[in-house]
Amino acid sequence: MSSDPSRLIAALARDRINLDLKTLDLCFLAGLYLQANRASLASFEEDVLIDMFEQICDVVDPGAERPRKRATHAIQRLRDQRMLARVDGAGIVRSGEYTLTRLAAAVVEYFLADEALTRESLTLLTGTLRAQLAEILGAAKRADTEDAWRERVVAPLRVTVGELVGGIERRQRGLDSQQEKVQAEISKVLQADWFGAVEQCQSLLDRTTDTLRELNEILLRDTHHFVALLQEIQALASESAQAESEAAVQRVIEHVDRIADWGSARQHAWSDYYQYVHRYLRDVVRLDPDRALSQRLRDQIASWPSTQFHLLVASARSIRLLRSLESRAERPPVTRPRTDREASPDLVDPEEAGLDIETLVEEALAAGTKSLAEVAGWVLPKFPPHLRYAITGRVADVLARVTRTRSAHERPWRTVAPNLELEDWDFWRDGGLR
Amino acid sequence: MTASGFQSLEEVIADRHFPEVDLALRRGRHVGRDDGTDYDYLVDALDHLEPFYRRFGCELVQRTDGYFYLLPSGDRLGRRQLSAGEMLVGQTLALMYLDPATLQHGGMAQREALLGRLSGLLGTETLVRTLNPRRRKFDERIAAETVRTKVAEALRQLADLGFIDVVDDTMLRLRPALMRFAEPVRDLSSPHAALEQLVTSGEIVLGDADDEDVNDDRNGIEDDDDEEMGG
Repeated sequence: MSSDPSRLIAALARDRINLDLKTLDLCFLAGLYLQANRASLASFEEDVLIDMFEQICDVVDPGAERPRKRATHAIQRLRDQRMLARVDGAGIVRSGEYTLTRLAAAVVEYFLADEALTRESLTLLTGTLRAQLAEILGAAKRADTEDAWRERVVAPLRVTVGELVGGIERRQRGLDSQQEKVQAEISKVLQADWFGAVEQCQSLLDRTTDTLRELNEILLRDTHHFVALLQEIQALASESAQAESEAAVQRVIEHVDRIADWGSARQHAWSDYYQYVHRYLRDVVRLDPDRALSQRLRDQIASWPSTQFHLLVASARSIRLLRSLESRAERPPVTRPRTDREASPDLVDPEEAGLDIETLVEEALAAGTKSLAEVAGWVLPKFPPHLRYAITGRVADVLARVTRTRSAHERPWRTVAPNLELEDWDFWRDGGLR
Repeated sequence: MTASGFQSLEEVIADRHFPEVDLALRRGRHVGRDDGTDYDYLVDALDHLEPFYRRFGCELVQRTDGYFYLLPSGDRLGRRQLSAGEMLVGQTLALMYLDPATLQHGGMAQREALLGRLSGLLGTETLVRTLNPRRRKFDERIAAETVRTKVAEALRQLADLGFIDVVDDTMLRLRPALMRFAEPVRDLSSPHAALEQLVTSGEIVLGDADDEDVNDDRNGIEDDDDEEMGG
């Protein structure tokens, strides 16, 4: 697969990738996913799929008609979107056997799994990651061939370490979403129970603060170890001139840095929010336990146009800085240095070509030429290329003097020499001469 | 002067914060906790700065909501009253500041939400007439545009005065100083008595604004004179 994001995106656009999943589809997939986990099924027979769809229909859309037909459509729709894959390869010989694809499993897991980062999950993940990195470091010390580096260092870094780091990042995103929920929850409980919700808000704030602090401590401590181990592996790869391994280590280091940054950024942002909510609880909620202030302020605004009042604020002007006095100086007239424009004339070869033009034109006329282009075509080859442009003008001039010209309203352009075209005209043929 | 971190007014004035904070206060800015060390400086220097500004005929006011401002009581330092647009927008933002929905976003509010609130509280027509007191007839589209312009101008002024921070084209950060707009209704006494009290203390003035709003924006709004001439 190409690593160029632009090309990847262009390929996705070209293939018109899209997903269109209705609630029923998602519930159907979730039902299959749960059943597969419960019964350790690797695949489903077609009848099982249809039974499952009917059960889901009973819950999601109880009044639905012809559920079997809808099941057939749903299965096809999910196959088209690469959520279900047929795995039996029997074609039309017998009914199919299906399995959920990785995409379907990921979608369902997103909706079902509660994967927010917790102290336990983070400690477990970082511990495993540290052990894994130590093992890879050992392998890197022993690796003596290209294959050994690839099998024992690059592959584990890409797969095992990549999965573990990805797992931490995924859970970080889960915690982000949990924080958003806490913020919405604080707002909601205050809306519902104003003064009575102060304790609950405080507890929600403190819980998230403690979680973030703990996580950040673990991240700060462990990412330091990760980076130290990774740098050691990278140094070994560099000594052994293993560019692929070096690049793989570098990618993991960047991921680890990102994980560490997340911790401090979130803690900082949460700290701001924490302070803001605290001030709000202290200055707004506790001082107005009946929540009467909002209503009184609303009334004040509604009646303000009829009973106007205006706040006063200080408004000192900026200090005016006077321009310092300057006596008017006589400016010298604008001049420019004199230059000697009388250049000495160049020595050039005498140009005698023009002397022959009239004769040549008359010769061309005598030869039976009928138009300017024909005359020019007859005369020009007798001159060197760099003179032909000027000679053409002189030919036209002579021709205009010695003949009576005529031309169509739209005069055609004709090529008379390489890189030279002219607008053609005719002249009286009869004798031609005036 | 026990609470002060400064021993003398000379130290206060020599501090690196003084020039910026002094200019900001004299220009009407409300310096709050969000201003970081400027606010801390004022807390530390308050004991020395209060008598200092009193000599200029001003009161350096500190509010429990966490902000300072300068209130001129005489003519020694210039002062101005907020325009109708600034007052309406300021009061509405104060209402939004109190709303728990704003809390969810850490005190951030959207401009669109502000316009929606203003219109909901006053009604579009009252809003237009309050912001354009000399116009009797108005075209709906132009009036809406005028309201948006006035509100944008008011927001810019309120940001200069430290009531809000303009984060970007769509978002505003509401600051505690907005609670000044709610002062008349903060306690349970009658609003009239509270207004009188505030007038006495020089915090507010009553009556229509002698602001510039009424003189501008003649484009697109049918003028009374034009109307008379036409009919």
